[in-house]
Amino acid sequence: MIRAAADAALSSSLVKSDLVPIATGYVLVMAALAAGLLLRRGADQGRGAEPAGGPQPGAVGWLRLAGHLAETFAGGYLVLMVVIVAYYFGLVRYGGNFLESAFSGCAELLGIAAPVFLAATWLDGRRARRRSAPGRR
Amino acid sequence: MAEHPVLGYLVWAVLFGALFAWEGLALSHISGTVPTLSAAVHAIMRYPFGRWALFAFWLWLGWHFFIRGWQFLLRA
Repeated sequence: MIRAAADAALSSSLVKSDLVPIATGYVLVMAALAAGLLLRRGADQGRGAEPAGGPQPGAVGWLRLAGHLAETFAGGYLVLMVVIVAYYFGLVRYGGNFLESAFSGCAELLGIAAPVFLAATWLDGRRARRRSAPGRR
Repeated sequence: MAEHPVLGYLVWAVLFGALFAWEGLALSHISGTVPTLSAAVHAIMRYPFGRWALFAFWLWLGWHFFIRGWQFLLRA
């Protein structure tokens, strides 16, 4: 009973402290991106520019994407770990299980983000191919 | 919110406001010399280390917002 109440309080506090700022930031960023996209589209139409084509699919394309992704993920992960170790342990001497949480938490996030990114890329490529298929305006 | 001085939040609000104002100025083409945020990110991402640094920043944000403290999402 007490555990349930504590969980509810934690969820409520998380919604207030995390979800609301994230949702607000998301809406602001998306609004700015939409405005930029509309402005750019207007400028492109004014110049009579062709819309950019989607990514070219194929085994070579996927291999290159996988290599690029692996390099970026590994490089970014290492850079972050170096910064965390240097700052939290070298400079401010922050103890606890912070480093372990950083290593495992960032790895978890990578594990979630990588398949989602690959799926989104595949869907985007498929949509672009369908749009550029002959007989389709 | 009560644990921190209001000034701290105000500084963050001003910083984010300035960022959006800068982006708005760049998008409005009033000044042709102001690059948009996406143009700046594109320039940084041309170099591997820039790409790693940006991804590290993204990872740090995601870790703080979504992984740390969200026990109900990834409960052990």
